[in-house]
Amino acid sequence: MEMSPGQTQFTSLLDNATLSRLERMRLNPRRRLTNRSRGEHQSGKGGTSTEFVDYRDYSPGDDVRYVDWNIFSRLEKPFVKLYRHEEEMHVVLVVDASSSMQFEGKFDRAKQLAAALGLLGLMNVERVSAYSCNHLGQEPAFLPPCTGRISRKRLFEFLETIQGSGEFPIEQAVEAVLRRHRGRGIAVVLSDFLTFGDFDRAFNRLFSAGLEIFAIQVLAPSEINPEITGDLRFVDSENGHVLDVSSAGDLLGIYHEHRLALEEELGLACRQRNGRFLSISSRDPLDWVLFDLLRRKGWVR
Amino acid sequence: MGAMTWPGFLAVHSAWLFLLLIPLIIFYFLKLRRPKLQIPSLALWRSVLADRRVNSPFQKFKRNLLLLLQLLLLVCLVLASMQPFWPSGAERVQNLPVLIDCSASMAALDRPDGLSRLDEAKARIGQLIDEMLPDQRMSLIAVSNTARRLTEFTDDKRVLRAALAELKVSQVASRLEDGLRMTQALARTVPVETAFLYTDGNIPAIVDFELPFQLNFQRLPSGGNNLGITALSAQHRDDQWEVFVRVEGARPGAQQPDGAAANRAATTADDSAPPAAPPPDWNGAAAVQLFKDNRKIAEEAIVLDPGQSQRLEFLVDASGPSAVEVRLMPDGFDALDADNIAYLDLPVARPLTIYCSSELGSYRQALQGIKDVVVYPADEGGDAPASFDLVITDRKEDAELESDTFLFVGVIPDDVGKLLKFGEGTVQIVDWHRSAPLLQHVLLADVQIADTPTSAEGVKDKDYEELGYEILAQARSGPLILQKNLGGKQLSYLLFHTDRSTLPYRVGFPIFVTNVVQMARRQAGLSEVVAQQTGVLPPRTLSPETEYEVTGPDGSRQSSRSSLGGVLSGIAAPVIGRYVVKESGREVASVGVSLLGPSETSLRWIEQLQFREMSVAAAETMLKSDYSLWTWFAGLGFGLLLVEWWYFHHRPAGMA
Repeated sequence: MEMSPGQTQFTSLLDNATLSRLERMRLNPRRRLTNRSRGEHQSGKGGTSTEFVDYRDYSPGDDVRYVDWNIFSRLEKPFVKLYRHEEEMHVVLVVDASSSMQFEGKFDRAKQLAAALGLLGLMNVERVSAYSCNHLGQEPAFLPPCTGRISRKRLFEFLETIQGSGEFPIEQAVEAVLRRHRGRGIAVVLSDFLTFGDFDRAFNRLFSAGLEIFAIQVLAPSEINPEITGDLRFVDSENGHVLDVSSAGDLLGIYHEHRLALEEELGLACRQRNGRFLSISSRDPLDWVLFDLLRRKGWVR
Repeated sequence: MGAMTWPGFLAVHSAWLFLLLIPLIIFYFLKLRRPKLQIPSLALWRSVLADRRVNSPFQKFKRNLLLLLQLLLLVCLVLASMQPFWPSGAERVQNLPVLIDCSASMAALDRPDGLSRLDEAKARIGQLIDEMLPDQRMSLIAVSNTARRLTEFTDDKRVLRAALAELKVSQVASRLEDGLRMTQALARTVPVETAFLYTDGNIPAIVDFELPFQLNFQRLPSGGNNLGITALSAQHRDDQWEVFVRVEGARPGAQQPDGAAANRAATTADDSAPPAAPPPDWNGAAAVQLFKDNRKIAEEAIVLDPGQSQRLEFLVDASGPSAVEVRLMPDGFDALDADNIAYLDLPVARPLTIYCSSELGSYRQALQGIKDVVVYPADEGGDAPASFDLVITDRKEDAELESDTFLFVGVIPDDVGKLLKFGEGTVQIVDWHRSAPLLQHVLLADVQIADTPTSAEGVKDKDYEELGYEILAQARSGPLILQKNLGGKQLSYLLFHTDRSTLPYRVGFPIFVTNVVQMARRQAGLSEVVAQQTGVLPPRTLSPETEYEVTGPDGSRQSSRSSLGGVLSGIAAPVIGRYVVKESGREVASVGVSLLGPSETSLRWIEQLQFREMSVAAAETMLKSDYSLWTWFAGLGFGLLLVEWWYFHHRPAGMA
């Protein structure tokens, strides 16, 4: 992303103009999965916000401050005014920081998207937490839940400092995150989803935990359109395993079919759990992704 | 529908080399060099490789193209080492004696500036050499009027090609027997099933030989039209030589089995039967030039139709010895050059000198009626010459006289004496050699002979023949007239004295004496001179036991030593032209030899060879031989090697 020289940047992940535009946007989850604690996210249940919802009969023990005295004077029957309850929504950012993300700007793009979506949460006075998953068996790096505009710096610093390495499969990383995480809301999972494991189980657990899945698959251009040919020995960047492939150029057609099938499978798995899925290239312009693609897909508003 | 032909292998044991395929496959997979490429995750590629389509046998095969090329390369090399061949259908032979006719007619061209028959034969034999299989061996034998082995049985194609390249046409007539005998001798050292004969078919149809092997008679395409001199001779008449030249026009064609073609060729131009219309490409016009001592003295133009001949007569002064050369200058295309020139050596014309014993009055009386003879001792006396052309005597000691022709009357040779005994009574001649020059037109029936030479007990005719005598006449009890050729001398023996027989009173006696004189004339070269043919120079009497050097027309030199009697013989003369005999660098004689072969000039071919017990038909199609395939496999292997090299070094690999 272009940084104008001489201008102090708030973060190295996003330039100030992008931040400014992001501050005027909000996350747009399909369901209102909120916490009981008060927040700025309107739950739809009766609450204490200034937004009137309905009347109900007064019951003994109700707070008399919510009795509509004008109605009482006209009807001589007490009615209690009901207001929209504003509850807090939890936005949990899960960033795949394994070695497979260290190709062609995938990890950087994942961190930028995490920063942007986290910023949307903070600006909407949601609780935002972040996890970075590197090594299998180790606890993911963790940004405790924070909220409010003031927490922007913490969020950005956390994302700026996480390093990419390791072999943490994303499905296991999600489960590791859920062992620590409490709260309902949105789980933004940023990964390439190139895993040997079964991500259905991880998505099920996210769904069970009351987290709406925002899955973003970040792929490198060479993964989307590999230009290879001949006999090759592929080396897995995470575990060093090798795979001999002969006449790789002849297999590209099948490769594309399998890649699209994986996207289809991920999208279906997310939709079945009221979630959303998006696959992007690490070379796609960030502004186009944030302000065009996500908006058109209804992820943000 | 014929049976399917499968290729054969000469070295089947090399099939063990196919086992090399196993280590090749193992090493291929162990040592396959693949460029390493680090990718984020193998997850997608593993699922790709697990795809059923990827694991189809064809895809696996396609992905291992390098291995496929290496396997094909190895298979090609192993197949080449197994020495495959494609059978021609003919029976395979291991030892191939190849007889190549290199007689004069093989120099015939098929068209102007075309190939000679020998060149055609060389091309075909060269192809045969090229297609020789490794277990086959070939021997080349040149056949003309004799046979010459060019190579041993060898599989060295270089040696065979070199020998073939050096082969030249001998300007002599064909004679097949020597070549076949040589092949028969070779067959005693190595098994020979079939001999191959390459000829233009212009060879004698009847071969006096019993074939112990099969003969593959390969007849080459015939040459073109030809004009040639087929006879050259001279007769002495009135201080002049009448030189006769016969020129024949020949258009190639098959000989008739009964020799009708030869007879037709001898037909003169003035035959009553009208000649057939000449073919469009025929040009029978020519000029015949006569040179005497390198000076042209006569020229005559002739026009011949195909198959016709013409006899020309020229007169040459006989006052001194002369070398005559006849040249034929055809106007159009002439297939054969060798028969366009002929040589004739004419001696000085002189009377025949005869020594006739004084006691042989009947002979002396008979000689008086013969012209151009001088008889010694003369009745009127006088000196006798040192040598005679003919000696007629009844004394054994007259054998010391110098002469080339002797007639001994009542003289028994020493070596024959022990085979004979003399009895009582009279004998009659029961049989005689009527075609012998000595007895031509002489009727010997009922001649009473008082002498009775009788063969000793147990003596057969072959005993005389073993001593070199030919029996010209014989009684029931034994031979009466013998003839022997001794060192160029013609010796005739009457084993009875004519004075004691009724022969001098018979009409045949003067004819008998005339025959003797004619023999002497011929021996002395006084009556008729016939041009010498190529082959061997005629024996010539020179100084005894002297070393002579003979230089041929092609510059070749031969050294030979004359015999005790001074006869120089056995000089090979395969090339037409003049042979010069030198003694210590000094020319002592010169002999011209010519082709003069009507059969060679006719360029007619035979359809089949007739041997004693069988006949062999000519084949005009080219001989098929087993076709060796190893070069194809080796070439294919080389091609695969190039493809593999290109594939290995130029294929793009890794990230494009």
